[in-house]
Amino acid sequence: MSWALFWKFILVFCLSAYSLLVVTVIFGGIKNIIDMLKELSSPRDQE
Amino acid sequence: MDVFSTNFATIDWIIVMVYICIPVVIGVIVRKYVRQLSDFIVAGRSLRLFVAIATLTGTELGLVTVMYNAQLGFQHGFSAFHVGVIETVCILAIGLTGFIVYKLRELRVMTIPEFYEMKFGRTVRIVGGFLLALGGIMNMGLFLQAGARFMMGVTGYSNPAGLKIFMSVMLIMVLVYTVLGGMVSVVLNDFLQFIVLSIGMLIGSYFAITKIGWGNLFKAPEAVDKASWFNPVAEGSEFGTVYVIFMVVLTFSAGALWQSGTLRALAAKSPRVAKQLFAWGSISYLARRVIPMLWGICAFVFVSQTPKLLSAFQGPDAIKSEFGMPIFIAKILPSGFIGLIAAGMFAAFMSTHDSYLLSWSSVITQDIVAPFKKGDLSDKSRILITRISIVCIGLFLLIWGLWFEAPVSLWNYMAVTGTIYLAGAFTVVTAGLYWKKASKTGAMIALFAGLLAFGGIGPWTRGDNVPFYASDKFISLMTFAIAILGMIIGSLLFPDKEKQAEVSQ
Repeated sequence: MSWALFWKFILVFCLSAYSLLVVTVIFGGIKNIIDMLKELSSPRDQE
Repeated sequence: MDVFSTNFATIDWIIVMVYICIPVVIGVIVRKYVRQLSDFIVAGRSLRLFVAIATLTGTELGLVTVMYNAQLGFQHGFSAFHVGVIETVCILAIGLTGFIVYKLRELRVMTIPEFYEMKFGRTVRIVGGFLLALGGIMNMGLFLQAGARFMMGVTGYSNPAGLKIFMSVMLIMVLVYTVLGGMVSVVLNDFLQFIVLSIGMLIGSYFAITKIGWGNLFKAPEAVDKASWFNPVAEGSEFGTVYVIFMVVLTFSAGALWQSGTLRALAAKSPRVAKQLFAWGSISYLARRVIPMLWGICAFVFVSQTPKLLSAFQGPDAIKSEFGMPIFIAKILPSGFIGLIAAGMFAAFMSTHDSYLLSWSSVITQDIVAPFKKGDLSDKSRILITRISIVCIGLFLLIWGLWFEAPVSLWNYMAVTGTIYLAGAFTVVTAGLYWKKASKTGAMIALFAGLLAFGGIGPWTRGDNVPFYASDKFISLMTFAIAILGMIIGSLLFPDKEKQAEVSQ
């Protein structure tokens, strides 16, 4: 396999996988942030 | 075509100005959530998977990352992609095996030198903390400068005072919200910035590929050597085998132990989440390399097709290659989009800066100042010291960025200064976690060996005809080798007395 073809594959994989990751993280992250703020605002013991 | 001509218009300024006010507002709002030190440094160890991925990406995909990777693409073409592929494989391996990060999260440490104390005692912690802060702050030294150059290139503001103005304004914005909200503020801003910069990068890639054409993209320009444009180990390539080996060692050790990235693993909800974070985050690591490199490649193809631009980047008074990508972006994006990209890149700048400031300042507080103090420092005092350290580091960055010009490329500067800390830290943490005979003396030798990497940014690395043993990549690779050997020989010759006693019992 030529280097040019290999880098073409890497580029296409990168752009597609990253686009999917961005969509997943945006939706999953909003729920995570709400849970995190709830946890931080609840009473806790000092570490 | 004027080199600094741009499509950046009033609407783009408005988009950027509105955007940069948001983090400050978030910083003020989340102050109420910061009640103890662990909230400020590791967000109360409350990070779930998706937000952890966003904040890891936000941290490790900074404007400086975009600039140095674009510069690599501009100078070396597709052969630069090898750095991204190597790094992605290393991060994925760490995520799948949990190497180092799983055990560190289990130990509930907040900084890496805290682990040094657990295994090797307080002196090693203080020395390790000092070297970590030194290497880390040196590594950050050119962040502001690179960020300001991007903004100058995109906005077309080529006035010599532009560097100072952009650097000062950008620094003040980051200092305000990091000092106020600590890690909670950093996490929320990183999430927002992840969205903005990711969308900006994908839109930018679309425009860059469309401008050059998919078919033309994979043809080497006439101005370059075709073999080394694609093959990193081709004869005549400025990378070569030693560089590729150095990248494997560097990206694996940085993946596991770069304080700002590892801090995300330490702030994760559980050791399992810390592991998953690296496995999924490996895609972000690929994107942070490949997408800016793609922009750099497109920029070079564009420049090589325009004789006036090409001549501006050649000869004794050539414009720095760092300017290649921003100048290209400024010319191909329509007004409005360019503001979004600039806001995205500004987001990348802030999300990296805040985390790095927090990382190194927390090391100064936890690992250098606090161990010297007799009796325990209160959380309030520690947060105050961390905030003061953040401001002091910021001032250093401003001064350093204004007068220092790296003798090597921006990425090589980052790699070499990172080695100052990583060579010792990787050796000490790996040995501390996985080798029973590792001793305090071995740890001290390994940590100090990291200082040899300073040789990699010396004036002897400048120029084209540098002998291989004085090149930055060889010096850095040898620093790792000497640190590992120092650890092994030091531990075998000078074992810890307590461990010897345990063995003899």
